[in-house]
Amino acid sequence: MLFNSYEFIFAFLPAVLVVFFVLGKTSRVWALRWIIAASLFFYAWWNPVNVLIIAPSVAINFVLARALQRLRKRGSRGAARAVLLAGIAFNVAFLGYFKYSNFLVGAANDVFGTQMVLARVILPLGISFITFQKIAFLIDVHAGRVESFTLQDYCLFVLFFPQLIAGPIVHYREMMPQFHRASCRFDKGDVAVGVTLFAFGLVKKAFIADRVAAFVSPIYGQASAGGSVGLAAGWIAAIGFTLQIYFDFSGYTDMALGIARFFGIRLPPNFNSPLQASSIIDFWLRWHMTLTRFLTAYIYNPLALWLTRRRAARGLPAFAGRNKSVGAFLELLMFPTLLTMLVSGIWHGAGYTFIVWGVLHGVFLTANNGWRLAGPKLRLDNGAQKRLMRTAGVIITLACVASSMVIFRSPNLKTSGRIFQGMFGLHGLGLSGLKSSVDVSLAQLAVWIAGPALVALVCPNTLQILRRYEPALGWKVSGPGAAPVLGSGPRDAATAEPRLAWKPSLAWAAAVSAIAWIGLIYLGGRSEFLYWQF
Amino acid sequence: MTQILRDLLADDSIVLAMETKRDQVPGWDSLAYVSFIVAVEIKFGLKFGVAEVESFQNVGAIVQRICEILPKQ
Repeated sequence: MLFNSYEFIFAFLPAVLVVFFVLGKTSRVWALRWIIAASLFFYAWWNPVNVLIIAPSVAINFVLARALQRLRKRGSRGAARAVLLAGIAFNVAFLGYFKYSNFLVGAANDVFGTQMVLARVILPLGISFITFQKIAFLIDVHAGRVESFTLQDYCLFVLFFPQLIAGPIVHYREMMPQFHRASCRFDKGDVAVGVTLFAFGLVKKAFIADRVAAFVSPIYGQASAGGSVGLAAGWIAAIGFTLQIYFDFSGYTDMALGIARFFGIRLPPNFNSPLQASSIIDFWLRWHMTLTRFLTAYIYNPLALWLTRRRAARGLPAFAGRNKSVGAFLELLMFPTLLTMLVSGIWHGAGYTFIVWGVLHGVFLTANNGWRLAGPKLRLDNGAQKRLMRTAGVIITLACVASSMVIFRSPNLKTSGRIFQGMFGLHGLGLSGLKSSVDVSLAQLAVWIAGPALVALVCPNTLQILRRYEPALGWKVSGPGAAPVLGSGPRDAATAEPRLAWKPSLAWAAAVSAIAWIGLIYLGGRSEFLYWQF
Repeated sequence: MTQILRDLLADDSIVLAMETKRDQVPGWDSLAYVSFIVAVEIKFGLKFGVAEVESFQNVGAIVQRICEILPKQ
C-alpha cells in the first residue's frame, strides 16, 4: 500500500488510527500491539510472502540480540564479539541473497562469458532499510547503548510502518523512549502537525515529482533505446531527475514523519534542503541524513579509528596540524571515504550504475576534503564576496550531484554515456531525445523544471516551516527567532530563519487544505516512490 | 592531553579544560579528533571502544573514562 494511494489515505490510515486511539483509552500495551499488527498487514498488502521472509529474520535477530545482551552482562567479550559478527554476517548474507544474487550471477556471466540463469529471486520491499536498522541494533546492544528490550519493543522498532519501507533509518534508543512515553490518545496538536507534514509530502510527491518525471523519463527512455540526446535535453534529464528524486524522496519522508506524528512519535530529520548545499560534504549532511548518520557511525568512523591505530602502531604520523602528509591523507581520509561511499552505492541497488555512483561521490567527497585542506585560503572581507563564493559552491555542487544522478537513474552505463554526450553538446544544442517522444512546449518545460528548481533552491523546507512544533526529532527552536538546535544534524540548519512559520490558525488550515486538495487531485495513477525499490 | 592536542594541531595557544568541547577548538575536526584519541590511547597505554569514542561529549568525559579503565589494568 503506497502512502500516496486512496486505499491508504482513506481506508487503512483512518482505520488504524481510530482503533489505536480507542485502544489507547483503556490499554497502552494493546494500542502498541495494534501498531505491530497494522504494520504487518501494511507490509503483507503487496505480497504476503514478504512477511514470511522478514519474520524469520526478525526472530533470528531478536534471539541474537538477547544472546549478545546476556554475554555482555556476563562479561564474556570474546563470545559477544563472535555473536555480533555472526549477526552482521547473517544480515548481510540475507540482504545479499535477496538483493544481489541476480546481479552477481549476471556479473559472473559478464566476466566469464557463461550463461548461468537463476530463477528470479523476489525482493522483499524495503529490505535494505530494514537490514541496516537491524545491524545498527545489534551493534548498539553490543556497545551497551541498548540496556533492555522485550520482543514487543523490538517488533515495534523494526516494523513501525511509517518508516518500515524507506526510512528514516532510526535508532532503537531514539524511538523506544518515545513509544514508552506515548500517551496513545488523540492529541489535536500532534494530528494538526501530522496532517500538515503529510499534506506537504503528498503535494511534493503527487504534484511535483510525478509531473517532473513525465518530462524526464522519456529522455532516459530514448537514451537507453540508443537515441541521441541534445544539450538542453541532457541537462533537463540531469537537473530534472535530481529534482524528481528530491521531491519524491523528501515527499515520502514528510509523509512518513506526518504519519508517525499521528501516533505521537517523532522521526529524525532526513532532508534539509540538500539542493541548497554549498559543497558535497554539506550536501551529504542535508540529503538522506539518517543514511549518512548510519554510514558515518558504523562504517566510516570505526574504519578511520582502526586505520589511525594501525598507522600509529607503525610509527607513522597521524593526520593533523603540521603533520599533513599525502600518505596520511590517502590512507586515513581517501580510503575510508571511498570505501564508505562504495558501500552506500551497493546498498542503493544491485547494478554497476550504483557502484559507479557511489565511488563517484567518494571521489567528490575526497576532492572536497582535499580542497579544504590544501586549497587556497581565501579571505572574504565582505558579504558580497561571501555570497558570491556560496553561490559558486551551490552551482558546482548541483552540477556534481545532477551528473551523478544521471548515472543513478540510468538503467545501464551506456545510457548514462549517451546523456553525458548530450550534456556536453555532442548531439546538437536542442531538445532531441525529448521532443521526439513527447509533445512539450518550452513554456511547459519552464514551469515544470524551473518552478520546482526555484522551490528547492530558494524556499524554506517543510521542517523549517513547522520548526516551532518540533516536526522532526530534535528539530527545535530554543526561543523566539532562534535557530533550531539539532542533535546530530548540520549546525547551519537554518542559516537564515525563514519568515514563513506554521501555526495552528485558520489561515494555515485553509492553506494546508488547499495543498492537500492539490495533492489528492493529482493522485490519479499509481506511482511508486523511487526509494521503495531499495 | 593539552600537549597532545597542541602537538597535533600545531597550535600552542590551545588550553583544554574538562568542559572543553571539540567545536570550541579551531581546527579540531573529526579527523583530528580520531588522531587525538589514538594519541591519547598510546600515551596512556589503553584502548577505547568504538562506541565510546563517539559518545565523548567533552574532554572531561575522556578523562573520566581513562580514570575508569586505568585501575583495572
